[in-house]
Amino acid sequence: MKSRFWCFAAALAASTVLMAPLVPAQADDTSFYAEAAKPYKGSTIRVLDEITPLQETLSKIVPDFEKETGIKVEWELLNHFEVINKGQADMLSGRGYYDAIMLHGFQLGPMISAGVIRELNDFVADPKLANPNLNSADFIQNPFKTAAFVGEKQYSFINWNYNQIYWARADLLNDPGEKEAFKAKYGYELAPAATIEQMRDIAEFFTRKKGAMLAGKPLESDFYGIVLEGIKGGSTFPTLWNNFVKNYGGNLIDAAGKPDFDSPQTVAALKMWHELWTFAPPGIAEYSLVDVPTVMGNGIAAQSIAWSDFVLGIDKPGVSPLAGKFVYGPIPIKAGSTERYAEAEPSVTVISAASKNPEATFIFLQWLADKKQQDKLIALGSGGVPIRESSWALPAITGSANKTLYVAMKATLDVAEAKPKMPKFYEIYDVMSGVAQEVGLGRISPEEGAKKGQAELLKLCTSCLL
Amino acid sequence: MAEAQSRPEGSTALLWTSITVVYAAIMLFPIFWMASMMVKPNDAMFARPTQFLFVPTLEHFSYVLEHGFHWYLLTSFLLCTVSTALVVIIGTPAAYAFARFEMRAKDDLFLFILASRMAPPVCLVIPFYLIFAKVGLLDTFLGLTLAYMTFNLSFYIWVLRSFCRDLPVELEEAAALEGWSKPQIFRRVVFPLLRNGIVATAVLCFIFAWNEFLFAFMLGGRAVQTLPVSIPKLITSQGVRWGEMAVVGMTALLPVLAVVFVLQRHIVRGLTLGAVKG
Amino acid sequence: MASASDTITPAEGVIRAPRERLWYPYLLIAPSMIMLVVVSLVPFLYTIYLSFHAAKFGRVTDFVGFDNYAVLLTDPRFWNSIGVAATFVLIAVPVEFMLGLAGALVLNQNVRGRSLLVPLLFMPTMMAPIVVGLLWKIMLAGSWGFFSYNVLERFNLLEGTSVFASPEYALYALIFVDIWQWTPFMMLAFFAGLQALPTGPYRAAAVDGASPLQMFFHITLPMMTPLLAVIGLLRFIDAFKVFDTIYILTGGGPGIATETPSILANKMTFEFWNIGEASALAVLVWLAFFAFCNVFYQVAKKRLNAF
Repeated sequence: MKSRFWCFAAALAASTVLMAPLVPAQADDTSFYAEAAKPYKGSTIRVLDEITPLQETLSKIVPDFEKETGIKVEWELLNHFEVINKGQADMLSGRGYYDAIMLHGFQLGPMISAGVIRELNDFVADPKLANPNLNSADFIQNPFKTAAFVGEKQYSFINWNYNQIYWARADLLNDPGEKEAFKAKYGYELAPAATIEQMRDIAEFFTRKKGAMLAGKPLESDFYGIVLEGIKGGSTFPTLWNNFVKNYGGNLIDAAGKPDFDSPQTVAALKMWHELWTFAPPGIAEYSLVDVPTVMGNGIAAQSIAWSDFVLGIDKPGVSPLAGKFVYGPIPIKAGSTERYAEAEPSVTVISAASKNPEATFIFLQWLADKKQQDKLIALGSGGVPIRESSWALPAITGSANKTLYVAMKATLDVAEAKPKMPKFYEIYDVMSGVAQEVGLGRISPEEGAKKGQAELLKLCTSCLL
Repeated sequence: MAEAQSRPEGSTALLWTSITVVYAAIMLFPIFWMASMMVKPNDAMFARPTQFLFVPTLEHFSYVLEHGFHWYLLTSFLLCTVSTALVVIIGTPAAYAFARFEMRAKDDLFLFILASRMAPPVCLVIPFYLIFAKVGLLDTFLGLTLAYMTFNLSFYIWVLRSFCRDLPVELEEAAALEGWSKPQIFRRVVFPLLRNGIVATAVLCFIFAWNEFLFAFMLGGRAVQTLPVSIPKLITSQGVRWGEMAVVGMTALLPVLAVVFVLQRHIVRGLTLGAVKG
Repeated sequence: MASASDTITPAEGVIRAPRERLWYPYLLIAPSMIMLVVVSLVPFLYTIYLSFHAAKFGRVTDFVGFDNYAVLLTDPRFWNSIGVAATFVLIAVPVEFMLGLAGALVLNQNVRGRSLLVPLLFMPTMMAPIVVGLLWKIMLAGSWGFFSYNVLERFNLLEGTSVFASPEYALYALIFVDIWQWTPFMMLAFFAGLQALPTGPYRAAAVDGASPLQMFFHITLPMMTPLLAVIGLLRFIDAFKVFDTIYILTGGGPGIATETPSILANKMTFEFWNIGEASALAVLVWLAFFAFCNVFYQVAKKRLNAF
């Protein structure tokens, strides 16, 4: 009851306080979609999206579109792997069952090179279809620009700003006994890690055997300093690539798209990657992006790097016994580094080239990205992952109990970029996640890992960009 | 063979029975553990240390029902029934023909039937998908029914042929002397005698279809969703819903277990793929 | 064992059709044959067609001859997958075979409550493979699996790694799961065979004072041979195709340590969308199986009288 009231209050606050100055524009917007949709009234569009807490909340808003425009939306949610499998199969076979399909940033390279995404430039230039008040300057620019465009060609707006954040146990970091011991050992204050080196120290410090003391209580089972994603596939490799390799000054490919994985910087990053794995639970090489938050939620590790949208699903009373005892931060960077990188996966909903209702779908995509729907989404979800700069000021975010979560999220999104558009992304992903595993497990040395990665990359492409 | 033994009955029976029971207990423990997860509260699910005792909950059942998993159960049931029925209707005459009649290139034809089951299913899915996408059979009842023919029709013909072969040919010859036509003989003599074999083989086909995942996943969709395909829906953003998964997994097992329980003799015989005379 | 073939005389069970009724058996098999042509032959011919074309992303473009085959046959990953499958099959199937036979012999003794035990023992084979995969994830998953946590980690048997995260153990764990799943199938099929054996020879042997071991090797085993061969080889082929459980438990990892041809084919199609190459793989696997089955069918039919 209480939380529902809070939601309502937040929604009310959002609509009165923030919308007040925009009222005239607001009225225009509503009539715009109704007006633009007139020729397509009564049609049905099918949209495939993936299931995360964000989409679950969005499901409650989607029916409003039909009320507003008379266009029916069949809204289907499948899990991560299914969306990729079935969405791509639908587009690539030219079946066109789905008019719009959610694609992760990394899917864009392969799908654009296959020519199965409809370009939007003509729609965007069409005054009958394009909403003049969409205000795309309000989209968080880095992810929007890198995900939605290739050169001048626009393929989408921006829909989901998935991003990774640093996640730690506040109750442990704030424990006076632990703080004292940590300072004695490492010579600086125990606090959420700002650098990768600090993250390593904290990981080492909290890795303890069963029976040892943790925050004054004996451990009933082993406890680990960190948990990372380590499964083959999933986002294991992007985690390594963007949070470690890039922050160490290395990269997968250079600006021209040539493989560039065997630099000394990459070797240093791989060394750290392996070291962190030694402080992680033995199952790390099995952990997927779903397991990592679950492990953190069950309280067997002190820190993690995880997807913030999943954190939203775990750090809630009734889901995790530790809800409310977490602290978040920006992805740690290498000590002394001036540039900052962080893994994010800006994701978009695109119109299938085989769609029979591209105009109606285009109207829907704008409607989704519209400020009104985005504000509602964040209010209903008591927070969320913003795609618009203006969303950071919404009361559901400024008043959130998880304040540090949004600070962390904003830090990541400020530098977030969609993956470079590489047609062979899947092949690259597949071999590189194998390398990430082998190095993490200590099967091969960081030097060998860098060399092997480079060799495998060169086998796949010498110029890897679209 | 049992009759050939001449040891005192009681003590050896106890020995062999205990060996079997102990073996079964060890082998079935994981299934028992999963069954217990059906009523295990989430916070006790993977608690460390493992919780063997807990207050049972029905929340997993209500989640499964609220999210309409009983509809997937119904879909599975209808789909498997229809596809199995089709297999029986077109496969029975073929099995009979292969057992009873001379045909040119019979060996080759029979080998063709066997061979149709040889390719790894994962290799067939894409051709199916591309063809189905062209002719509009994706996510249709008919499409999946046809796809299931690839593995079930050949199996059915193969196994039922052995049941046919064991029928005494004299009855058919007598009926032929009476002046019955061949369709009459098939309908009135062969079919009734074959009934047990048909049921047993059909049940096995039903089980294969019931458990099938890959075809149902790629070729099905929103309109036709089977129970195994519904399981990945339980991998959600709040983690994997293990309790619900246990409910669905056990629900999928129970009908099959019940049928095998009732028809065990025939089914076991069907499993030998015709290499055993009944 | 009865046998049917075109060389057998009518008295042994084959009705010779009168000349004017030659079409009758063809009429009986026609619906099935048409169906199999539609659902098996057509997709397969399409696969062959795709295997000779560039079909990245499922877009059929140029005819490339044997290029896809050449790429595949020179790809170490392909040979790795064959090696993985060979290890899998060569360990799993013989163990299933032995355990199944031993179990069948036990079950064939005067076990009480057999009608209850048989369906229960059969449960692993009846479960959907996807559920079997999840079940063993619950048992063996690193850190939280029931068995991993209570046994492997407690006694530190794996020294800081976990079952499916270790290239050494992962494949053996998958083999173990396959054995768990399919031994009951072997056991019950063999049990059915034992039950069907005639009792006469055993009585005669008992009169001659033969030991149980002698009876097993001189009577049981020879009479069971056709059944053992059929079941063993069928399982051999099926084990080579295993997909669902591996997909769920390791997805082919860590690295490519458990990547079988089925898993590789899945990756080639649904991740890389190299449809041409995946089709070439399908054709090769199919050809190998077909050759194998052809030989097996001829041998089983002539030597073992098994069909």
